[in-house]
Amino acid sequence: MSVAYLNFSFGVYFASMIFYAGSLFFKNKIFSILARFFIICAALGLSIHIGIRWQAALRPPLSNMFESLVVFAWAIAVFIIFMDLKYKIKVINALTALMGLLALGYAALLDKEIAPLMPALRSNWLTFHVLTCFIGYAALTVAFVASLIILFKKEASQNLDNISHKLIALGFLFLTLGIISGSVWANSAWGTYWSWDPKETWSLITWFIYAIYLHARLRKGWRGKKAAWLSVIGFLAMLFTYFGVSYLFSGLHSYSQ
Amino acid sequence: MLVLFSLNLMVCLINKFSLKNRSLGSSLAHSSILIILLGALIGILFAQKDYVIIRKGQAINSFIYRGKNIPLGFSIRLNDFIYNENIDVKEKLLVYSGERSEKDVCNIDFAKKAENAKGLLAKISVNPGSPQEIADTGYKIKVLRYVADFVMDTSTKEVLSRSAEPNNPALEVELIDPQGKAKNAWIFARFPDIHQGISTDFQIRYNWAPRRPKDFISKVTILKDNQEVLNRDIQVNAPLNFAGYNFFQSGYDSQNLSWTGLQVVRDPGVPVIYAGFILLIVGLVMIFYVGPLTLKG
Repeated sequence: MSVAYLNFSFGVYFASMIFYAGSLFFKNKIFSILARFFIICAALGLSIHIGIRWQAALRPPLSNMFESLVVFAWAIAVFIIFMDLKYKIKVINALTALMGLLALGYAALLDKEIAPLMPALRSNWLTFHVLTCFIGYAALTVAFVASLIILFKKEASQNLDNISHKLIALGFLFLTLGIISGSVWANSAWGTYWSWDPKETWSLITWFIYAIYLHARLRKGWRGKKAAWLSVIGFLAMLFTYFGVSYLFSGLHSYSQ
Repeated sequence: MLVLFSLNLMVCLINKFSLKNRSLGSSLAHSSILIILLGALIGILFAQKDYVIIRKGQAINSFIYRGKNIPLGFSIRLNDFIYNENIDVKEKLLVYSGERSEKDVCNIDFAKKAENAKGLLAKISVNPGSPQEIADTGYKIKVLRYVADFVMDTSTKEVLSRSAEPNNPALEVELIDPQGKAKNAWIFARFPDIHQGISTDFQIRYNWAPRRPKDFISKVTILKDNQEVLNRDIQVNAPLNFAGYNFFQSGYDSQNLSWTGLQVVRDPGVPVIYAGFILLIVGLVMIFYVGPLTLKG
């Protein structure tokens, strides 16, 4: 049953991306209205999928690569709705929808079986830690898309620059919450709040890159392309923290494969 | 390096205060990082930690840190260690009618083939418990016991598990005929052809699947002056805190479950670090959201 909702979400997510892209070329309002309708459907469909899986598994479905990718795609969809309502920049929405689709597409390739939680993950911190991390990741993904557009555009856009900055501020706050909650959780599970595990180290590196972004803007007045490059580097570090560390190193987060 | 980083941050902070153009949020966020590092420093200087092994029935009253024996001021005794596993949905007892002569080795492929094959009467859950019906034959089967690593004491004929590793998974079952007469037998996952002799009407196969850890529970008692003060279970994510010492579940004897491995920690830096965490979050929220609001107002 939950698989049906996942497939439905994939379909409407895809339709939403097509209509956002279409609205770039056709002036007809129906394109953007349908795109918005479809992305709302995608967010609802993923919420229902997560809800059903939660009930079936008797635990929050936030424990492996498949489950985290679905939550990632869900968070991205929520951000697209927010971006659409607030800024209405179609090219950001279309490309962000593509990012969400990539996450869902990758999830579709993975094992969907519900496995029981290992003792280390059976904690109330699981929901808070994973949700804050992925809300942060989603915000930073949208910021990456905005930065990419800044890099490809010939003329400078103050608006895009501001949007990117605001999203990075939000993403940075949630990344901080994610790292802190992970640290407190580690201390209550193992008695050590920081053990330089590869996931911890790379999340700290990512955090520092975005901290440099925020300071470069404030102190050195970096704007436009210069700042956008930092945002892209930060996003690559984030991707490495999420995927690279999971597949290349073994450590405390090895179950996230 | 961390010390240099702290020094640098401190100098910058003092500079900023002298400029008097920094917001409260910024000052909070940056000082919070210094506080976190201070907490880490306190940990490096004053924390005491060790990995201790306690055998069942034994107690410890001290541990060793940096070559020094540190008395706890109380003792902690392991009464029992419990290890539970999750049974995979694929793990089942398969009951066939006796006419068939199945020579395949029992594995997942076999189970798939057998499902389509004639003669499969019932799939029985391997959870020990009440008797389960074998289709409409009038027979019932009851799972009595699971051992991960079957071994029989040759003199006493007593069945034991050599270790907690699944080297030779076996189930003891009881087959109850329609008249209510019961017979016991061991069914082996790895040796399906061992003569069962339990009934000529049925063939029973044990389809084992890897089990995952569910619980590691150390049942401990705290003793002070030979008086029992506290009985508690220590589990992963549920440490025991007593008199400033924290005990975390962190190891076990995978062979005989005869001991538990506990991480003992006393780290006075932790509250400082947590205070730093809270200040960091408050500081960031003020920089990004409260600050801009006050500027607008």
